[in-house]
Amino acid sequence: MDSKKKLSFTFITVVIGFMIAIQFQTVKEPSVRDTRDTWQLRADILKEKELQLKLLREISSNEEKIAQYETKRKQSKEQVLRETLEELKMEAGLSEVTGPGIIITIEPVNEELLLGKQADSVSPDLLKRLVNELNMYDAQHISIGGRRVINTTVIRDINRETMIDGYALNRLPIEVKVITENAQTAEKLFNRMQVSNSAEEFFIDNLRIKVEKPAEPITIPAYDEALRVRYMEPVKPEEGGKS
Amino acid sequence: MWLPVLGLIIGVILGLMTDIKVPDEYSNYLSIAVLAALDTLFGGIRAQLQNIYDEKVFVSGFFFNILLAASLAFLGVHLGVDLYLAAVFAFGVRLFQNIAVIRRIIIAKWSQNREKTEKNDI
Repeated sequence: MDSKKKLSFTFITVVIGFMIAIQFQTVKEPSVRDTRDTWQLRADILKEKELQLKLLREISSNEEKIAQYETKRKQSKEQVLRETLEELKMEAGLSEVTGPGIIITIEPVNEELLLGKQADSVSPDLLKRLVNELNMYDAQHISIGGRRVINTTVIRDINRETMIDGYALNRLPIEVKVITENAQTAEKLFNRMQVSNSAEEFFIDNLRIKVEKPAEPITIPAYDEALRVRYMEPVKPEEGGKS
Repeated sequence: MWLPVLGLIIGVILGLMTDIKVPDEYSNYLSIAVLAALDTLFGGIRAQLQNIYDEKVFVSGFFFNILLAASLAFLGVHLGVDLYLAAVFAFGVRLFQNIAVIRRIIIAKWSQNREKTEKNDI
């Protein structure tokens, strides 16, 4: 047998050995045979079940602990204070709000049939009236032209420019976003605004308001300046009780 | 002569060390392939002893037999007939025949050798 033949033969034998080894491993029986009888098996099952029970008990006790911590955290004064602070901030207009509501767009009347000059701004009186009307109809959060309207917001004429908190509102159209408590109030507000008098009042100033009610919740930005309280004082408890 | 045996041992060690396991549903194919390989191996040894060994026939026979056996088993599984038994039978019979021939040849050689040595002694 020459060396080449030998080599191929060896190669084949290596492959065969490999195959046999794998086959042997595949069909090899488990090395330890199970020789337990019924009673031993029962005892073992019992042991395993006890272990399971123990583990379950441990899980439930841990979950209980988690729930306890959770309630403790909720009931703690800090949490209550935090929640109150959040609520107050939201009411004061210091946080961004998202919810159902309507969008009112104030735009100039473009038709040429009208006499006089085209409107280029909204008078502060009209805007105030609109805000008052919205507040009358259960509006909760209002923004005008992207500026949040809060209790101390001023809308006034400075140098013949309508300003809201010092920001000019000289670019029409102006978007007024209004958020209400829920979808039903939004619907109500929408219907009221459709028939309100303000449309006519705006029309006198060559302006037109368009009321729309988007299906998705709208977002109103937060009031981004520091609130300066100058003329307010906390009510003293004893005095408050009397009144 | 010892090189093939060494190869076999190396193959076995490799197989045991790699810890490869064939899934249960394929172990049938592997077993029949092993049988076909063994058949070819003994056929090769016999041919070598009879001086009609041909490398090409041997190597091609090795792979071809394995493939044939495995495909036969595959076909059997899909037809619902245990066709691999046919392969087992064929390879088993040939294995026995080959081993018998090898045994006879070795015995013949051995007795010849003994006669020679006896003659030389005399």
